[in-house]
Parts: sequence; C-alpha cells; structure tokens
Amino acid sequence: MNKNSLFKGREVLLYSFLIYIYLFCLASVAFPHEGKGKRPFDKLRVTKGLESPSILRLHSGQASLTVTTSANQQTNIITGTVTDANGMLTGVTVSIKGKAVSTVTDDKGKYSIDASQGDILIFSYLGYKEVAVAVDSRSVINVTMQEDATTLKEVTVNAGYYKVKDQERTGSISKISSKEIEKQPVTNVLAAMQGRMAGVNITQATGVAGGGFAIQIRGLNSLRNTGNDPLYVIDGVPYASEAIGSFSTSGVLGGLTNPLNSINPDTIESVEVLKDADATAIYGSRGANGVVLITTKKGKSGKTKFTADYSRGVGKVTRFMDLMNTEQYLAMRREAYANDGITTYPANAYDLNGAWDQSRYTDWQKELTGGTAEYTNLNASVTGGNSSTQFLMSGNFAKQTTVFPGDFRYKKGNIHVSANHESENKKFRISFSGGYTVQDNNQPYLDLTRDSRLLAPNAPALYDANGNINWQNNTFSGNPIRHLNGQFNAMTYDLLANTTVSYDVLPNLELKSAFGFTDLRHEESSAVPNTIYNPALGIGPDNSILFLNNAARQSWIVEPQANWTKKYGKATVSVLAGGTFQNKTGSQIVHQALGFPSNSMIHNLSAASNVTITQNDESVYRYQAFFGRANLNWDDRYIINLTGRRDGSSRFGPGKQFATFGAVGAAWLFSNEEILKDNTVLSFGKLRASYGTTGNDQIGDYQFLDTYTTTGVAYDGIVGLAPSRLFNPAFGWETNKKLEIALETGFLKDRIFFTASWYKNRSSDQLVGIPLPGTTGYNSVQANLNATVENRGIEFTLRTVNFQTKDFSWITNFNLSSAKNELISFPGLEASAYRNLFVIGESINIVKVFHLTGVDPATGLYQFEDVNGDGVITEPEDKQTVKDLNPKYFGGIQNQFRYKNFQLDFLFQFVNQENYNANKTFGTPGRRTNQLASTVNHWQNPGDISPHQMYSATNYLVDEAHYYYSESDASISDASYIRLKNIALSYDVPEKWLKNVKCRLTVTGQNLLTFTKYDGGDPEFQLNDRLPPLKVITAGMQLSF
Amino acid sequence: MKNTLYQNGARLGLMLFTVFTIWGCDSFVDVELPNSQLTAPAVFEDMATADAAMTSIYSSLRDRGVLTGEPVGLSLQLGNYADELDYYGYSQSSTDNYYLNALTPSLQDIKTLWTDSYNQIYAANAVIYGVENSTKLSTENKNQLKGEALFVRALVHFYLVNLYGDVPYITTTDYEVNRNVSRMPVATVYSLIKADLVASVDLLPQDYVSSNRVRPNKLTARALLARVNLYMGNWDEASNDASAVINETSQYSIETNLDAAFLKTNPSTIWQFSPALSDHNTQEGSTFLFVVGPPPMSALTTTLVSSFSVGDLRRTHWIGSVTDGTTTWYYPNKYKNTLTEGGSVEHSIVFRLEEQYLIRAEARARQGNLTGAKDDLNMIRNRAGLANTTAVTDVELIAAVIEERRFELFTEFGHRFFDLKRTNNLNTVLGIVKPGWNDTDKLLPLPASELTLNPNLAPQNPGY
Repeated sequence: MNKNSLFKGREVLLYSFLIYIYLFCLASVAFPHEGKGKRPFDKLRVTKGLESPSILRLHSGQASLTVTTSANQQTNIITGTVTDANGMLTGVTVSIKGKAVSTVTDDKGKYSIDASQGDILIFSYLGYKEVAVAVDSRSVINVTMQEDATTLKEVTVNAGYYKVKDQERTGSISKISSKEIEKQPVTNVLAAMQGRMAGVNITQATGVAGGGFAIQIRGLNSLRNTGNDPLYVIDGVPYASEAIGSFSTSGVLGGLTNPLNSINPDTIESVEVLKDADATAIYGSRGANGVVLITTKKGKSGKTKFTADYSRGVGKVTRFMDLMNTEQYLAMRREAYANDGITTYPANAYDLNGAWDQSRYTDWQKELTGGTAEYTNLNASVTGGNSSTQFLMSGNFAKQTTVFPGDFRYKKGNIHVSANHESENKKFRISFSGGYTVQDNNQPYLDLTRDSRLLAPNAPALYDANGNINWQNNTFSGNPIRHLNGQFNAMTYDLLANTTVSYDVLPNLELKSAFGFTDLRHEESSAVPNTIYNPALGIGPDNSILFLNNAARQSWIVEPQANWTKKYGKATVSVLAGGTFQNKTGSQIVHQALGFPSNSMIHNLSAASNVTITQNDESVYRYQAFFGRANLNWDDRYIINLTGRRDGSSRFGPGKQFATFGAVGAAWLFSNEEILKDNTVLSFGKLRASYGTTGNDQIGDYQFLDTYTTTGVAYDGIVGLAPSRLFNPAFGWETNKKLEIALETGFLKDRIFFTASWYKNRSSDQLVGIPLPGTTGYNSVQANLNATVENRGIEFTLRTVNFQTKDFSWITNFNLSSAKNELISFPGLEASAYRNLFVIGESINIVKVFHLTGVDPATGLYQFEDVNGDGVITEPEDKQTVKDLNPKYFGGIQNQFRYKNFQLDFLFQFVNQENYNANKTFGTPGRRTNQLASTVNHWQNPGDISPHQMYSATNYLVDEAHYYYSESDASISDASYIRLKNIALSYDVPEKWLKNVKCRLTVTGQNLLTFTKYDGGDPEFQLNDRLPPLKVITAGMQLSF
Repeated sequence: MKNTLYQNGARLGLMLFTVFTIWGCDSFVDVELPNSQLTAPAVFEDMATADAAMTSIYSSLRDRGVLTGEPVGLSLQLGNYADELDYYGYSQSSTDNYYLNALTPSLQDIKTLWTDSYNQIYAANAVIYGVENSTKLSTENKNQLKGEALFVRALVHFYLVNLYGDVPYITTTDYEVNRNVSRMPVATVYSLIKADLVASVDLLPQDYVSSNRVRPNKLTARALLARVNLYMGNWDEASNDASAVINETSQYSIETNLDAAFLKTNPSTIWQFSPALSDHNTQEGSTFLFVVGPPPMSALTTTLVSSFSVGDLRRTHWIGSVTDGTTTWYYPNKYKNTLTEGGSVEHSIVFRLEEQYLIRAEARARQGNLTGAKDDLNMIRNRAGLANTTAVTDVELIAAVIEERRFELFTEFGHRFFDLKRTNNLNTVLGIVKPGWNDTDKLLPLPASELTLNPNLAPQNPGY
C-alpha cells in the first residue's frame, strides 16, 4: 500500500510536469520569437477563394484584403458605422452580394470595404435582420440593424465539447439564455429554468431561502433515489451537485443543503440541457440523467462598459390552507369529548377547560408564515476590450429576509471574472473565467409551517405583555415562537476557476486544453438551546445541543482536446478527440455537542460536556476518459454525428472501471432539398434521430471494497467495527439506452417554428442491491440487477412571432412535455424489501396506499378495502392501491411584447399531477390540533352519509382509522396547477435623455398567480408541510454607460 | 531549417498531446482508502481493530436477534409463546403473534430474527477468515479471537436449530455459496456446533480478557458445550462439561443473596453483555419492568406465579407486582433497573453457574447418579430458601430438575420453551393453555422471503 502511494505521488508529479511541457509547447509555438528570423509569410496567408479561382485572399493579422484579379470596374473604399437601437455593433459581417469579399465591423462598429458602384452591400449579424444596401455613388454607408426574433435556428448551441449551429444539430438540446434568466428575481439557476424547457421538470423543495430544487430531465432513470441527478458542467468543469448538508443540521431546508445555490444566475450567459443520446453520450458514464451545461458571461469587445443593477422587492407565501376558525374548532372539540363520553375536560385540554380564552382567534398561518420577505439584489459589472482581448468583471450581492417572524436572512455575494485573448495571428487563444461565491444563511432551525397549520386557533398570544415568550401559566409549552431561539447557520464558500488554451497547429487542426479547479467549503450548524423549552420544565443549558456539519470538496480537471475540420467539396468533416483526467476529494464531519455551561457558549464545541462525532467521511474520486466526435455534413442536407466516450471511474472495482458509451445521431434538412429550397411556406425542415448509450456512476465511492466501518456502538468501551456490506468488487455501470426521433419545422421565414420529439430511454443494470437470502448475512449485495426502467414521452415546442414591426413585436413560446415512466422488470421483486415500493408496469415514483371506501354510516369510522379479505386492515397487505406521483404532463407558455421602449414578458407554467394533499398534514379531527374548514362536514349520527368520520379526542379506533385515512388514496389528489411563474415589465429610458447613459427600469414578479383546485398549501412541493415557494415582486433599475 | 523548427514545434505539441490523451493507465482511477474506512485485511493486522470487529458482534447479540433483551429477543417472545407470560400490549405486534400462536412466514419480525442471526454468523465467519489470514497478529491474539468467533457461531446456530429444526450451518462469508445453501439435518447441525465448541474451548484462554466477564473465556464455551450435550442426550459429556465449570470455584460461586443475583458483580456469572453506555443497565429491565397496569407489554402468567412453592424466596425476590385495586399483574424482577435508570449496576447475564448445576443434576439423574443429582438440585433449592428435594426415583428427580429450571430460569432466553420441547412436553403442557396449539408449532416458520430467494431451503416447516 505504501509503495503504491509513493508511486501515486510520483505519478501526479509526472502529470503536472507533462501539463507544463504541454503548455510551454503551446506558448512557444504561439509566440514565435519576433525580430531576427522573421519569415515574410509567417503572418500572411494566401488562400484561394472557393467560389472563384480567380480571387486571391490575403490574410494578415485580423484584416483581410481581397484582390479581385479579374477586376475591370473601378472600386472605391466604402466606410461606415453599423448600429442597432442600443448603439454600435461589433462583428457585423459586411459582404458584397455575389462576390466573395467580406469584412467585419470593428469594436467601434466601423467597417471599410472596397466596392464598386453597382455593388450591393450585405450586412449580416446573428440575431439581426439582414440588410442590403446598394452602393451607388456613396462612400459612407451607415446602417441601423434590427433584431430579428425569427433567426432561432441560426443560434449557436453549446454541446459541451463542441458548439453547433442550432439548425445543424443532431441531438436534443434545450437552451435558455441570460435574457430569460435576468428577468427573474431568483437566486438559484434551476428556479430560472422552471417551465421554460421541454422535458425538464423542476420542483422547488421549500420557500426557505437557501433551499434546494429537484430536477428531472426526462424522468427518473435509477431505482436509487440518489441516482437521478443530471451532470452539471460549468464552463467545462463538472460541478458536483451531491448534497453537502447533514440531516442533523439542515432540517429547516426540507432536505440536505445543495451546493447548486452557489451558482449565481446573474453571471450566467446561457444554460443548455442535453437530453438525448446524441448529446449526452459524449459525457459517457455521467450522461444518463442528462447534462446541464452552464456557460458564464464573457467579456465583450468595444468601449469599456459599466453596468449597474439594483433591485428591491418583497415576497410572501403563495397560498394558505382554509382552516377552521375558533368557533368551528371549539365545536369540534366539544363534540369529540361528547362522543368519547367525557364530560369533565381533562387537565391538558387547555383550549376547552378554561385555561385559554375561548373567544380568541388567531390566523396562525398569517402569524407564523405570513410575513413579508425583503429582497435586495445589487449587480455591477465592467466589460470591454478589443478584438483580441476582452474582459469582464462583475460583482453581485443579494439578500433575502424571511416570512417567518424574527430577523432571519440569506445573503449571497459573488465575484466573477472572465478574460479572453487571441494572438495576433489568430492561432493562439486563451480564456479564463473564475468565480467566488460566499453564502451566509441564517434561519430558524425548524420550519414553522407545520405548527402554523396545526396550532389551535384559540391558542394564546405568542408574546406576553413584556414581550417575552408567553407560556400562559405553563399551558402553552408548545408555543411555536420558542423555536426561533434555535438557529440554523450556514456559510458556504465556493471557488470555481477554469482556463482554456488552444492553438491552431495546422489550418484545420486546433489543439486545445481545458483546466478547471473547484474548491468548496461548507460550515453548517443547528443550535438548539434549552430556551426553546418552557423554563418551568426545568430543562437547563446542560440539555442545549449543537449540531455542526463541516464539508469540503475540491476537484481539478484537465481535458486536452484536438479539433479538426475540413471541407471536401460538398462535405464538411469535423473530428474531435480528447481526454479527461479528473480528481475530486471530499470530506465531511458532523459533530453533536450536548450540554453547555451557558447558551452563550453554544457555538463553542470545547464548552460542551459531551461531544460525539456522528459522521466522518472522506472520499477520493478519480475519473479518466477519452472521448470523440466525428461529424459529417453533406451539403447542409445530410448530417451524421458520431460521439463516444471511454470512461474509467474509481467508483468501480478492478476490471470494472472502464466502459464505453457511444451514440449515433443523424439529421436530414429536407428544406434544403432542391424541391423545397424556395418554398415560400416552409422555411425550415429537419428530421433528426439518435440512438446510443450512456451510463450512471452515482453510487458513492468505495462501494466495491471489502471494508469495515465503525458502528458507533460501544461494547466494553470499544466502539465496534462491522463489515460495511457484502463484498462484491464486480459491479459496473448502470447503462441507459436512449432513442429519439424529432421533427423541427419553420414556416413563413421561421415566424412559426415548431418542434416535436419522441423519445424512449431504458435504464438497466440497475445498481440496487440484488436481493439475497438472509443466510448470506445480508439482505442484498451491491450489484447490477437486471431491472429495467423505461422513460418515454413526447415534447413539443412552438414559437410564433405574432407581430414584428419596428415599434411593436409579440413573440410566443410554448412548450409541452408528456412523459411516462415504467418499471419494466425487476427480478426477485416480490421477495425483496422493494416490494412495498415498486410495482412492475408502474412508474417508479409511486406510493402504495389503502383504498378508502367511505365512512361507515353505522359506526362513523372510515372504511377501507380489505384487499386480502382477512377481515382486518393491515399494513402492508391491504396497502395495494397504486398512486403515481409523476406529473402526467407539464410545460409553459411565454409571451414577449415589445412596444417602443417597453417590454413585457410573462410565463405561465403548468403541471398536471397528483400529490399528497392536506389530509396528510392533520391529526385525528377532535384532537387538539386545527383542521381544514371542510372537515366540519362529518359524521354525527348513525345513518349519516358524510365524507369525514366522527370526531374523537381519545378513541383509539378513531385514531387508527384516521391513520389509515392519512395513508390512503384520500390523501392523494389532483395537485395540478397553472402558475404565472414570471412576469417582467421593463422600460428603456431613451438614451438622448441621459447623455449616453442607458437606463432600464424593470418590475418583475415570480409566482404571482396560481390557479389550482388543490386544497393543501401550495401544489408545488416534494415534502409535506414545508414552507411553499414564495411569490415575489421586485422593482429595479439598470444603468449602463 | 526554421520551417522545420516550426513544424517540429507543432509535431512536439501533437506528440505530447497524443501521449497525454492515450496515456490511459488504469492506475489513475485506482484510489486509496480514506481514513474513515478500513479494508477487511487491514482490520486483522492490528489487535485493536480486530478486537473492535469481535466486540461489534457482541453488541449485535446484545441489541438484536435471539439473545437481545429487546422485545424482539427470545426472552420475551418465547416467554409469551410458552406459558411464562401473558401479553397485554398492542395487537398485531410480533409478540402478540407469538402469544396467540399465530406466527406466519411473512411476519417482519420472523424475517428479522432469522436475518439478524445469520448476520451475526457472517460477522463471526469474517473474523475467523480475517484472523486465519492475518500475518501480524500474535498467536495468542489469534487463538482468542478465533475461539470467540467459533463460540459465537456455535451459539447462534444452537438457537437456530432449536427454533427452526433443520437449518444450514454457515461457515463461510462467500455469498455465492451461502445464497444456495440447503437445510441440514438437526443431528448434523449439532455435530457442527459441537465441533466448533470443542475447537473454541481449545483456543480460548482460561482467564477473562476483560473486566466484568463481558467476553467469553474457555469456561463459557464449556458451559455452552454442557448445554449442547444435555440437549443431545450425551449425559456423560454434559455432566463433565458442567463439572469443569462448577469445579472452577476460584472463579465461580453461587450468590446467596437473591437480590444480588443479577448484579453485574455476581460471582455466578459466566458471561454477560456489556451495555452500550457505561451508565446503562439491561434492556431486559426495560422490557419486563412496569409500574402501572395493565402492563405495556407482558406480565407473568398467574399459573407460573402460583406454581412457586410457599417459601420460595425467588417468588418474592424475583417477582414484582402492580395492582389497580381489582387486578394484580406480576413482572419478572430479576433485573431491577430499566436500561437508563439507576446507574450501571446490572448487565444482561447470558450464562450463569446455576444453570450448570441444573444441567449436571439432570445429566446425573439420567445417568443414575441420584445422589449427585440431588446434591446439585438441592444446591439451587436451598439458595432459594427451599428444603431438599423429596424426589426419590430417577424419573421423579428428572421431573424435579425440569420443574426447578422453570422457577430458576424463567424469562431467560426461552429456557422454558426449549425444556418443554426437548422433553417432548410441549403438546401436553401448552396444548392445555394455548388454544389451537399444534404439534407443528414446535418449530417457527422460515421467513417466506427466504424460501422465495433460495428454493433450496424448501420445504417450509410443517404447519405454515
């Protein structure tokens, strides 16, 4: 082992050394010694125009000079400036119609070109309408270009290791850009994607700031609930999205703290989601659940531009439940005791026995979660540069307070830097981008939402006359405000940096290497002092408890690549090959500290009388791969794209570390066929299909090793070591086969653009435990189970440019996804512990529940279907009704209006789904907890037909029936909704008013309206009784000059 | 020349690039172990970690499976299954099923009892394998650990064979072997148990390696061997093995104060479980003691309580009662503290000297050594404040010993059930007090999932 580690150390040195040599080599080639020995043609290339052999083009530096050898007309130098509504445009291509002559505008929007009088100048720029101007006798031609909303297919899409024009892509890739992201007052990138991408289903876990989101790209593929995350890649660097929290500390967030909050939406230029095999196979073993590519903003050449953004806003809970008022509640309580035959109310029935004022009413939902959260967001950036070097620096600060009572807040600061350089000969390029984010989150240690729904409506005031917690003569020890004495604190520091160096070795061959580094540190604590208890209970600070979670994660990645492109007649061939070396280390330690001399020392571990380490993990993950792509484009009509990757991962045992994945994609641009080329209706038509394999290695580290783990349980003073698992070194990847067929069509110059895709993905070799008989010592062994999960569905997108004039435009975007998830096979399911979770032929996101048959008119109790007919209701035998919690379909519809300087955007998101309802929240009606107002419709006398059973405060049978009810299909109902996810109104103050200072005023809103039949809180949630997403409205101003 | 330089530069870049990308040696993705985990071989190269691997089996035995004082253990379950305890707790709990003689193969606790036991056997086999392949442990340490592991393996199989009849005897950690095992005849299982125990007696040290007798020594293995031989009907051997323990008077003696008989310092203790926390008592205390009626779980049957002879001090010192004015409920009061109360004064005692006397008494009676048998039996009776036995014939004596076991060993690890079973008295005794008692109820059902996952285990025990 020691010998081995020495070798490893040497190997790392060797790698580093090679990287240096490689860089040095690139640099020396890129910057050849100037001066003596300078070759005359070193920087001057001569190429022959492809279109006409008689045209020679000389390129020197960045300008190119074209000499038409057959010139028989006199040419003049034409100059001018190209602008758009916002100012000069850099990089506009200026060409002469019918001639192979072109130039581009410089950083001041200026150009100069040789043209003769009869020529027509064509100005073209991505995203703008082409402009054609006849030269005539002019020598200065200034042009104002207009943005064109219909040039979607011209957009370049980031496919990770390569970029592709949208119209030429063979894979399935969804994209949103900074334009959409900037309009949303959100701090998490996933929030910005909600409702905007077909096939991407995103759910917010909690309304508490700093909480997480769940994302599913084309459904759940793995039977392991921790195995369904996509791969996140930020500027080429994989970003580990595994949770960094601990269940001991991050309870208020409704799940483990997720590192994705470190990504600042304001620094994002675009987010691309790769969905099918063609797009994801190049990510091999990590592509099964899709890939989320995040590209940060880069510097733009031109005059140095300062931009500052400031916005403030407010947020409130979207929806409250309709609960009983005091009158209804007390009537229920009295009837419950009457039903139980109890006439003297027990000592603890404070709400009824006179201890509490029975005329008092408080809407606890408003009192405990009805506050207003304040939002502040400040952004500043500087960008500039020339055509060879550009830079961007930006800073961001965001703060959110809470809807809970008390001074809780979430703060986030971020610095982002980006620089790009291209050598004078345009052969060498280097780019750097780096970001550092600090998050500081302070919340109560507990979400008060559940209390706000259950507390009796006549419960006493939270505070007494002196402003102290009101224990109401020790009858209100459950006063929820006591929880605010407990605190959740989290600090997250996240550094992300990457550099890409590339060099054109040969005219068609580019060598490139990307280097990335991430460093994340997370400190999280949950402090629960004894002051959360009524002092009368005599609980001293020796019972105060602190949970402390420290997690850290570092990774580096090196990805050398080569790109080669060549044209052969009508064929364009591009080949890409590369490799990946990645190393990630992680550590996590969780402390539990009990008993402090005083609560002022509760954050001091050394002051605790009893400190236990409840978790101590370290891990190293190494990953290595080779990947490649070959693309053949024949005449812009037929495209074939082959991608593949050979992966090695340290998560697998010897002999199982490597696997190969690959895909083939093909596209037929039938609109480029001769017969359709000049069709006036159909402007674009493409049929594409792809098939391939990807894998999933999200199983945690070291699972293949024969190891012992500490049990944490002592015997004779020795903490035990027990075998971690049955030892099986011979398991491999989960494999995922994806098939997709799609049609993309544009009509009327792409003013109507429609896409439809159908996919069928199958995940097999599931890495769940293979069920084993107990004689093996365990119930299962980690191995590839021959179980198969299928996801199939259809996705539609439609984009229509309804109006497009100089002053007014209206664009509509629509997306709709419908998906079906199905467990195809699972050998041994019936004998395994999974039998209560899964059913073959059903989705893997099901729950098995009792079936409510109604309230027995005779007994007044809920009745359930006795599936096995044994005369009693038992769990799990009678829990056989299957409910699918996957959405049936979801999507969004977005409209953008522009009138002169006004812009209005709004997005409606819709989801059709079933989910747990309020019945899961409440206790037995009649007990000392509040209920839905609709519960008043209940059974009272024999013969009554009613939806709810009898009230009772003490009857065990009523409790039992209620428990079954909460575990029945009555607790799951339609939770479909349509939501005004985002609305943004902005106004650009005319520049002439402010002397070259651009000013934009915006008002944005998130979740402002929700339409649903759902009777619980908010229909968007994953866990019951968590603070729902907030509705937020902000107003802001952006200045740039 | 310069051109070639330029080209060479490009070539060098290309070459390095190629080397860099193709250099895909597997070793890059081989990682070392983190400090928080240990590989199995490394565990057994250091006595401290090897010891921790062994003690974790004892904590497992204490907290799970047949011997635990938790409600799922045999003390409570078989007490209810036989005629020691009445059940008052939640219906549909597994104890209720034992009590009502309504066990089914699909019950979760039936499965857990089986899988926890085989998990303990796995851990013992892992220790045996690890120790045998260890290069750094001393022979002394190896002998001790292997001896303990063999003892545990025999102990758990002993309970399995008595509960389920034919069972597989597992001696390897290889799951490819263990997933396809077949049931072995009871006699084969017993011979394997005996072989393991004989080896264990050889390997274990005479002295305890820990204070408070919480790790088994040579005599603990011998004590189990005595019980195994008694169950097998090897009277000679049973008697000799028990003698070997009883004669160790410097270590073991019978505590005369009945209130001190279950303290952790009791000199009659041969092996007891150490609690998880230093200020804890026994789980048995929490399971059996109650302060209000009706009891949260089980109370002693009135038949058992009223069967004690007048003057039997065990009736007053080892049995407590609670009354609500009309009904009185009795609880085993051997352990007098619940798990977390009273400071650490009691440990769960697994083997004690009194049983060895009763084993020898029965073996001697069956051998015809009636005087010796009476001496041993009277030893126990006199301690309980009772006069010498009045039994005269060997048959009477054997019956007297079995009856004495009922009063001495009640609610300890199912002794009563196993005694009735091995003496073929289950049907005559339980058939009267248990409605619907069948002969087939002498065996527990195998978990249903076991039969599905390993058809070699078929058939299910009769009656299920």
